[in-house]
Amino acid sequence: MAERELTDLLRHLKSNPSADYASTSALLSRAKLLLLQLNALTPSASTPPHLLALARETYEQGALASIRAKNPDAFTRYVAQLRPFYEQLQQTSNTSNEEVGERNKITGLYLLLLLTQGLYGEFHSELEALATTAAGTTAGAGGAGAAAAATLGGRRPSVDVEGDRYLGYPIRLERWLMEGSYDRVWKAMKKGEVPCEEFGVFSEILTSQIRSEIASSSERAYPSLPLSSTKSLLFLESEGAVVEFARSRGWTIRDGQIYFPSTQDTGEEEQEKEFSQMVIENTLGYARQLETIV
Amino acid sequence: MPGKTPDKEPVENGGYRGGKDMTDKDLKPKGKKASKKDGDDEMTVVVPPSKASKQSSVPPPNDAEGDVVMDDAEKAAEGEVKADPFAQSVSDIKSNFALLDRAIALFDARFTLRALRSISSIRKRLTPDILAQAISETYSSSSASANLAKQMLHAIGRPNVSLGRQSGPEMEIDSEPKAVSKNSAKKEFKEVIPEVDVFLGILTQVALHDSKQFQQGFEFSHSLVDRIRSVNRRTLDSLSAKVYFYYSLFAEQLAPLPPSSQSPVVSIRPTLLAALRTAVLRKDVDTQASVIVLLLRNYLLTSHISQADLLVSHTQFPENAANNQVARFLYYLGRTRAIQLRYTEAHEHLTAATRKAPSSPCALGFSQTATKLLLVVELLMGDIPDRATFRQPGNETALHPYFLLVQAVRVGNLEDFETIIAEHADTFRRDGTYTLILRLRQNVIKTGIRMMSLSYSRISLRDICIRLHLGSEESAEYIVAKAIRDGVIEATLDRERGFMKSKEVGDVYATREPGEAFHDRIRACLALRDESVKAMRFPMNQHRLELKNAQEAREREREMAKEIQEGDLDEDDLGGEFEGM
Repeated sequence: MAERELTDLLRHLKSNPSADYASTSALLSRAKLLLLQLNALTPSASTPPHLLALARETYEQGALASIRAKNPDAFTRYVAQLRPFYEQLQQTSNTSNEEVGERNKITGLYLLLLLTQGLYGEFHSELEALATTAAGTTAGAGGAGAAAAATLGGRRPSVDVEGDRYLGYPIRLERWLMEGSYDRVWKAMKKGEVPCEEFGVFSEILTSQIRSEIASSSERAYPSLPLSSTKSLLFLESEGAVVEFARSRGWTIRDGQIYFPSTQDTGEEEQEKEFSQMVIENTLGYARQLETIV
Repeated sequence: MPGKTPDKEPVENGGYRGGKDMTDKDLKPKGKKASKKDGDDEMTVVVPPSKASKQSSVPPPNDAEGDVVMDDAEKAAEGEVKADPFAQSVSDIKSNFALLDRAIALFDARFTLRALRSISSIRKRLTPDILAQAISETYSSSSASANLAKQMLHAIGRPNVSLGRQSGPEMEIDSEPKAVSKNSAKKEFKEVIPEVDVFLGILTQVALHDSKQFQQGFEFSHSLVDRIRSVNRRTLDSLSAKVYFYYSLFAEQLAPLPPSSQSPVVSIRPTLLAALRTAVLRKDVDTQASVIVLLLRNYLLTSHISQADLLVSHTQFPENAANNQVARFLYYLGRTRAIQLRYTEAHEHLTAATRKAPSSPCALGFSQTATKLLLVVELLMGDIPDRATFRQPGNETALHPYFLLVQAVRVGNLEDFETIIAEHADTFRRDGTYTLILRLRQNVIKTGIRMMSLSYSRISLRDICIRLHLGSEESAEYIVAKAIRDGVIEATLDRERGFMKSKEVGDVYATREPGEAFHDRIRACLALRDESVKAMRFPMNQHRLELKNAQEAREREREMAKEIQEGDLDEDDLGGEFEGM
């Protein structure tokens, strides 16, 4: 009874992804109530598989809906709820593509979210876990022989993590961001490169992120920049936008050239002071230590 | 973790402990003396007189065997080894019971450690038959722990051996008949103390682990852990730490192997956490340290990095834990931090781990694994590891892929770097450093740029792009700009004409760098001194002696005061006395 209603709800949710957030969340909370009735809100060993799948789909839809609504908190919550489901999914080792469902997509989105929030530590923790899960499933599928070969936690090649359409995207972005190939990041965010529309949500945040990165490196790297080429450097549409951006960062514009306020001169004296303070502190520290020793 | 072969770990343990307390040579005579005394005294005094009446736990044949051990030892010294290795091993095992007994009587954990240390030497000769013999001689069929004994026998596949068997005829050497007859008059087998139970349990675990009967071992360990949890004795602490260690070792070897979240490793977490809780409440440092380490290892095996991080932040690793547990803890901690991109911390922990790692060759696996990780972390921090690291004997072959990697990073050759990764991917994956190494790409690029900046005063972006195999000139421009901002190089870019102009390199000694390096070194020296002061051990009750001295001094002072009053003493004597105090 409740099960059929839930299936209907899910079908409804899936069929119109563009519905507004309010109505979707109303449907979702109804779905969650139904899950509660079915005792499948959290996975346990005794939950029948088809209910597990239903619950998982509900949360996945919820996660996608909250991404579309640009609600990172709700998305993080859904991801947290989904995690035990995915771990259980892994246990039934021979997962077909259909069963995996939106897992990679959700995980990819989560990685991207971490990236945009600058939580690199979490990003890499998640990535490490991914690498091992992929290894775990291949070892499981390989049967006893592979399992024996994988003794001592030996990891099987996890090619599919980087090769995956959804998972590879944030990984590549992170790599480019880290080495500074911002133009590649910019290209990857263009239409057609993004694996699906939900990933596009992050483009805006990422764009402003790389723009400020470029700006801060330009401040140090260039003595001055011509206004015209700054436009392409910062991926801005018009020179007007450049002027506006320059103003927001406190750059001065003279004769079509951008001059950066030199941060060094002001900081020099303070630095000097700080340095001498440090030297004094250290020396006093040595003296005190020597006294305790002798 | 992966590279750290579990088989090596117990040995590591033994190897280490040998280094810490006293050497085996120091110990043996003592043990022998103790048992000899017992034999001579004809059982009236079982080790410490105070507890003899209450516990009298040394099983009768044991004392006689004390003599046997001695005889053998003497014979060996004379160069004619005649002893039956079987009997010798059995008696070796049982000679440890006396140590355990003394540990209880004197409440000194060192005796227990000594017994544990002997495991590594017994281990080499341990067979199910020897163990079965030892067990059957220790327990009577009517004793309370007969059940456990039966379990042990069952686990090692000798369920038919009956309990309460006397020592074989080959054991009966002069003093024994006397002892036995005397004892059998009273009662043949006294109650066995739980410490001995657990000690034999550990031996059973070792035997099962060495013969790769992991399933059996896991089940047996489970019941042994239950048994430990039911007894609350402080003298069991270091023994139970060992039991948990093997318990989790068995779990790791079972069917769905660790990376899978279904592995038994996950299922033992509640037990370990409960053990940790109990250990903390009882101030049981040994178990606490080893269980924290096991839990960390456990989480990292399934890549639950955040859980591992939470565990570390919510627990406090005991300060006075055994050195090798500290080394392991630091290794796992360093690993967690490296994954979380907290390289400075990771570097600190891993350096400490490699330094604390026992230097004996039996712990080579650990130091290799830790060194590998340390190398990668150093590279990630932008440092180039010392070449001497790769020359250490024993490490050379194991570290070879890393050596190549370091070379590629040092030169800044992206192409070499990629081929090395591709070539040694399996090695890196096995070592669990693969994902970390992938992060090195940016460092390679940075080093490349730095090399360019040092060699040329002005170079076009196009050349940089070609030399470093970067995608496009735009990429090169962004990358160089980022490098300038991150302080990798001192240079400026000219956008219109598309080149990078290096600034003159200033005098390094005018910067704060030398000061910082100096400070770092001094700090390290001071920390070393502090730690060595902390590590000093003081004999028990020494302070009472001092108190006594102080009291005497005070008395002397009083006398002196009296004499001064009486005018007998002049100033010189007084000064001398003060110095004496």
